[in-house]
Amino acid sequence: MSMGKLALLNFKNSFKNYLAVILSLAFTILIFLNFQNVVYSDIFEGLGGKNKEYIDIVIQIISFVLGCFMFFFLWYATNVFLTKRKKEIGIYIFMGLSNRKIGKLYMIETVLIGIAALILGIGAGILTTQLFQMILLAISDISVDISFQISLRPILITTAVYLVMYLIFALKGYVNVVRSSVIEMVSAARKNEYVRQNTFVLILKAVVGVAVLSYGYMLAIKEGGQEVMGNVLAAVVLVVVGIYLLFGGFLPVLFLYLSKKKLFLYQKERNLWVNNVIFRIKKNYRTYAMTCVLMICSVTALATGVAMKFRYEAIVSFRNTYTYQFTSGRQGLDEKIRPLIEQDNEIAYNSEISMLLLDASVMNARFLEPGYVVVSYGQLKKLAEDTGLEFTLKEPGNDEIIKLSRLHMLSLLTDRSHETVTIQGKSYRQTAEANIPYLGYFQEEMSIYLVNEEEYEKLLPLGTQMRTYNYKILDMYNFAASIDELDMFLESPDGADVGRVTIDPGSSDIEWVKILHTVCIFMFMVFVLASGSILFMKLYNDAFEEKERYQVLRKLGIAKKTLKKSAACELRTAYAMPFLVMLLSARFSVHALEKMMYADLTFIYLVSSCVVLAIFILCYWCSVSVYVKNAEVE
Amino acid sequence: MDKKKVIEMKNLVKTYGTKGFCTTVLKGIDLEIWENDFIAVMGPSGSGKTTLLNILSTIDKPTQGTVLLDGRDITRVSNQELSQIRRDNIGFIFQDYNLLDTMTLQDNVALPLSLNGVSSKICVEKTQELLTVFGLKEHAKKYPYQLSGGQKQRGAACRAFITSPRVIFADEPTGALDSRSSKELLECLKGLNDNGRATILMVTHDAFSASYAKDVYILSDGQIQCRISKGADRKEFYDRILDMQSSMGGDFS
Repeated sequence: MSMGKLALLNFKNSFKNYLAVILSLAFTILIFLNFQNVVYSDIFEGLGGKNKEYIDIVIQIISFVLGCFMFFFLWYATNVFLTKRKKEIGIYIFMGLSNRKIGKLYMIETVLIGIAALILGIGAGILTTQLFQMILLAISDISVDISFQISLRPILITTAVYLVMYLIFALKGYVNVVRSSVIEMVSAARKNEYVRQNTFVLILKAVVGVAVLSYGYMLAIKEGGQEVMGNVLAAVVLVVVGIYLLFGGFLPVLFLYLSKKKLFLYQKERNLWVNNVIFRIKKNYRTYAMTCVLMICSVTALATGVAMKFRYEAIVSFRNTYTYQFTSGRQGLDEKIRPLIEQDNEIAYNSEISMLLLDASVMNARFLEPGYVVVSYGQLKKLAEDTGLEFTLKEPGNDEIIKLSRLHMLSLLTDRSHETVTIQGKSYRQTAEANIPYLGYFQEEMSIYLVNEEEYEKLLPLGTQMRTYNYKILDMYNFAASIDELDMFLESPDGADVGRVTIDPGSSDIEWVKILHTVCIFMFMVFVLASGSILFMKLYNDAFEEKERYQVLRKLGIAKKTLKKSAACELRTAYAMPFLVMLLSARFSVHALEKMMYADLTFIYLVSSCVVLAIFILCYWCSVSVYVKNAEVE
Repeated sequence: MDKKKVIEMKNLVKTYGTKGFCTTVLKGIDLEIWENDFIAVMGPSGSGKTTLLNILSTIDKPTQGTVLLDGRDITRVSNQELSQIRRDNIGFIFQDYNLLDTMTLQDNVALPLSLNGVSSKICVEKTQELLTVFGLKEHAKKYPYQLSGGQKQRGAACRAFITSPRVIFADEPTGALDSRSSKELLECLKGLNDNGRATILMVTHDAFSASYAKDVYILSDGQIQCRISKGADRKEFYDRILDMQSSMGGDFS
């Protein structure tokens, strides 16, 4: 029989065993292909502006992340496959096959699996593209006509990326097989690693791990100015390192401690499964840590997406505070403008206020901007009364100032106290920052400061005073109806010095945020499913190693029910450990996000945790039944 | 003496294979095990030793005949009950120790007791006591891979005794041990038996091991050929067993 035939036979015979690997690989390919297809399709052309460009950037970034994820996933899957096959193929050594030949056999089998996954993934990917786009658009709440379209480029890119990565790992496995000794191969599957690690090293790891993790958490939620970006990055690294040390040090120490407390240990199945957890944790802690980090990423990704959506909605409503805004040097223009609008539209509310335009040369603030505006407290209070906007600001003192700011998508500055603004040599302490859209569009475009009456009067000579007239109509989508009357007024000599801003509620240059939101949801699902399946695969493999142990226990007359219970406890621990650490870590990461995005994300945190829990419970059930079968408890 | 009958086998027959290709391994065995007995079953390969042990330990079922454990026929009970019977009445010692490599010796010994739901305090006390009896006290915290074969087998014996079973089945317990370790183990078993704490049925092919028992049954060709009882001296008993072996011929290993 030729090598190829033998490999094919092996592949066919154990196809069922590899199904889990093939399906998960195919799933990764499917997702990757779908995202690539969005980049190369023209469904978002119609959105106009920079939207298509931004969406492409978002999707390219996600593709990159998915690519990285694919890399690690392939690494992991081929590794699991390698240990599993090593023993089986190792038997061929006794038939006189050389390592090189066995390596070749392994290579052919691996490639067959890779190709099966590729065909399945691409095939399913092509079939699901339209569905994917439909879901994408539906969740994003964007209405664009879509038709079934798939171009060759995304398929080629996906295939190329996948094949290159896969071949690297297949080759790595080949080298591994060629280099391994006979004894290693034959006993590969039953290599017993004992947790008898140096207790001192374990304790050191545990202490350092807890310290690093705590410091990471602290950094993540620490308020600050410019240094927040650095803090967040450092926090990410620290938390990842901390989690690895936690699983590699703290948890083994904890369980070893528990196993020494015999009064605790000798209770029903506990003796069996606690010892098994200790036995496994040395080999599996990296997997636990990896899934934990992956889940933190997924929950954070979801929270980011949702927060972006919140911000998007807030920004849109901010912008649409007024439909028309006029500026002029003159007072009393309301009498002229109001009737013009009322010809075609009903006014919901209106306001007017004087703004003092200051030249940039007299200002000295943290960020230099082209235009600065000062408004007085009394006038703003009146404006808030007219428009019905919330007003809780306290009147600033003579050396105090309040900033009226716009809404940002995200801000890295989480601590805004102790800022000072200098106007013509006089320093004002910024006591608060308000982002209620009192001045609508102007507040988005200019830096606006609020001072008390006295200070306003003092500043008057430094700039020019402009009067703003703001109108919001009842049906803002009917804004175009009044445009002709208003145009005529502006063109008339009477309106020569009047400037006008009209807000079109239908057009948005930040439509891409909606896509980002949806993509984040997808990423969340992909990552969570991946973490679940990684744990599942690991436990699936472990079960084979448990076979002997369970047979011994059966011989000793221990009931199946008891063994099942013990196995269930062990598996529960395996799923619970990463989940609980994730629960804690994600609370901090989401909290950090809350601060940067001014949003309350507790609900999302809870929902996403519940989703992760649900998926884990599902995986746990599958694991228990597969474990019991593979370990031949029954 | 008011000794109780623990196990009674009546006309035990076991055949393997399907119609037309049957091999009869056990051809009607009658055997009684009384409390505080120490019985060794010897016999050449293929004589049915292992089959007999499997049936006695409820792992296998006989084709014909009955096995009464404390007067109850264990060949006619459900699997669930068998589990329970095995758990509560029978202790096992295997040739290859079968200690779990994931836990320390102490945990291994305590396992059957703790799985039975006995309070952890009693588990700890009993484990300590038995480990002392078997001379393993200072090895309690070691993992199986850190122990010698003899220590492992004594550990396995501890595990078999911990639930205070009605009877202990030992399948070639010295099969993998050197003579010194064998002696240590057998002394321990004998000690417990002499103190009236254990009823033991041991399958072995080794005349030396068998000489520690009180009675030796020689199994051959599916039937019990003879029974030799111990006199006053173990040495003399050993010689008698050897004589019997050689007179019967056949391969006893």
